[in-house]
Amino acid sequence: MATEERKSEILDKLRNAVIEYDEDSAKELAQTALDEGVDANTAIFNGLVSGMQKVGALFEKQEYFVPELLMCADALYAGLEILKPHVKQMDLGVRGSVVIGTVEGDVHDIGKNIVKMMFDVAGFTVYDLGRDVPLDKFVEEQLKTDSDLVCLSAMMTTTMVGMKKIIEDIKKKNPKVKIMIGGAPVSQDIADKWGADGYAPDATNALKDAINMISSLKKLKEDAEANKKI
Amino acid sequence: MAEIMTAKERVLKLFAGEPTDRAACFSGMGNATTEGLTRLGYKFAQVHLNARQMAETAATTSKIFDFDCCVMPFDLCVEAEALGCKINTYPHSEDLLYPTIKEKIIHNEDEMDIGVPGDLTERGRIPLMREAIGIAKKDIGDSVPVGSYVLGPFTLAGQIMELNDLLKLSFKKPDKVNALMEKLSAVIVQVAQEFEKAGIDYITVREMGATSDVLSPRAFNTLILPHLKSIFKEIKVPSVLHICGKTNDIVGFMMGSGAKAISVDQKNDVADTRKKLGPNALVFGNYDPYNVLVSGSEDLVRETTRKCLDDGVSAVWPGCDIWPTVPPENFRAMMETVKDYGKQ
Ligand code: B12
Repeated sequence: MATEERKSEILDKLRNAVIEYDEDSAKELAQTALDEGVDANTAIFNGLVSGMQKVGALFEKQEYFVPELLMCADALYAGLEILKPHVKQMDLGVRGSVVIGTVEGDVHDIGKNIVKMMFDVAGFTVYDLGRDVPLDKFVEEQLKTDSDLVCLSAMMTTTMVGMKKIIEDIKKKNPKVKIMIGGAPVSQDIADKWGADGYAPDATNALKDAINMISSLKKLKEDAEANKKI
Repeated sequence: MAEIMTAKERVLKLFAGEPTDRAACFSGMGNATTEGLTRLGYKFAQVHLNARQMAETAATTSKIFDFDCCVMPFDLCVEAEALGCKINTYPHSEDLLYPTIKEKIIHNEDEMDIGVPGDLTERGRIPLMREAIGIAKKDIGDSVPVGSYVLGPFTLAGQIMELNDLLKLSFKKPDKVNALMEKLSAVIVQVAQEFEKAGIDYITVREMGATSDVLSPRAFNTLILPHLKSIFKEIKVPSVLHICGKTNDIVGFMMGSGAKAISVDQKNDVADTRKKLGPNALVFGNYDPYNVLVSGSEDLVRETTRKCLDDGVSAVWPGCDIWPTVPPENFRAMMETVKDYGKQ
């Protein structure tokens, strides 16, 4: 068993491997963490995820750009792959599943991929439908996977209107599902008008909102169950 | 300047650095409008595939609104298609959807060493483009400048392979990315020269994939700029380099590419750019094509037109494609303001 000092050294290095987008080191250090008795959850959250948070900050400050962000994510995924089998129970307050995609006619997927990555990092089960996704596909996938949340991305004012149809369809079939929308032309105003449950201007806020929405959803379910019992 | 010039004289003189009767109001990107399509009775999904319809549609901005140009095509798939990609024009859709690449030709890193077809300029829609340019030239080419565009090498690379991979490889395997961009630059020059032969008066190179929203200014300088330089060196007609999104930190590099003019969008602080580049640099754009021209009020349209001129643009030029749903009264308000305010 490593000393506390050694453990925090490993976590620091793991964190830096993500920040410096060093996939190989991330893998190695994840293994070292396991070998030397660092708890897998701790390694994930105080190492990998903490690194990714720093990366997000660097992105906002424009020290990092999209390529750096994508490479950091790869380093994080590499470490995660090694640590995940050893995680006892991912405890994030909530665990949710989300269907995400860029709507039909729209191939802009850089932003969507960043949002997706945030959900991956937070331990959500993510069903990524990709870009240029036929409108019906969102409804289908939600039903098939029974996901808590559907995330729609659009970068053009012309394709954005497709979201309205998707929201109506999903709400008709499955009124409990939460829907979040985003992308440059989208706004809170539009989200309200079209009946989406959430909107976020960027990936970090998307995750925060998603967690809140899913918590409230879970709470509703629990209350319903409790009522049944009485 | 008493005499009223034709749009063509105005634009060509602007590129030549000579005085004009008023500021030009034109674009180097898509010129499709719903108003034009409706009058012609054409569907957006069709006009990409028919030379006559493409030329007629492109000419509507000048015919209906007196815009100072006629530009085709409307989508970004022409070069990629000639290289072998499959495109989707969404023929089933009633909405206004732009063609996209449905099948890329590079699926992984090992396939980046692409072969360029020897008969490139006979492939895909290149012959159709030549024909369309010819039709437009015959129709209005005496008085209206006919323009076209090609993609920049990085943006084209992002059309024929997964952009995510391209972005990462730009760091991890810059040699491979450079080799690909070198090939694509040659492709772009070939296509541009075909368009020149067909008679275009000016050309825009759209390198939006390299915007500072995505790529750092440093990477732009080391990775993208050398290829752009090699392209502009070969182009004979007046040329414009367009990049949308954040560009303030790269306008100096853009101007150094050898393009005659640069084009930016509303995210650029154009007064600052003007200060940086000096009084003679040709800087176009900064005009928000959607939030002002499409969804703004006529007042906002007029105000924005004046502000762009005050901030020092060399021509009133929407920062991206004319968005088809532009209300005719807004288009007219922009033109009227330029004709009036753009005289000084
Ligand atoms: C790169 C790019 C392209 C690339 C896309 C490649 C790809 N795989 O993504 C290519 C070259 C293919 C392209 C094509 C076109 N493009 Co383009 N493109 C851009 C550009 C330069 C950058 C977009 C980007 O990636 N930004 C960076 C990311 C990180 O930001 P983001 O996407 O906004 O994402 C963040 C937030 O919005 C949010 N978010 C995003 N999704 C979601 C989802 C949810 C649920 C939530 C909560 C949050 C959220 O979080 C993200 C991270 O913080 C923009 C201009 C610009 N600078 O924005 C134009 C732009 C989007 N394109 C535009 C246009 C017009 C086109 C074309 C139609 C051009 C043409 N004539 O064909 C075609 C369309 C093709 C099609 N049918 O889809 C216009 C759209 C105009 C409009 N008002 O609708 C823009 C705005 C340019 C402009 N100035 O006008 N383009």
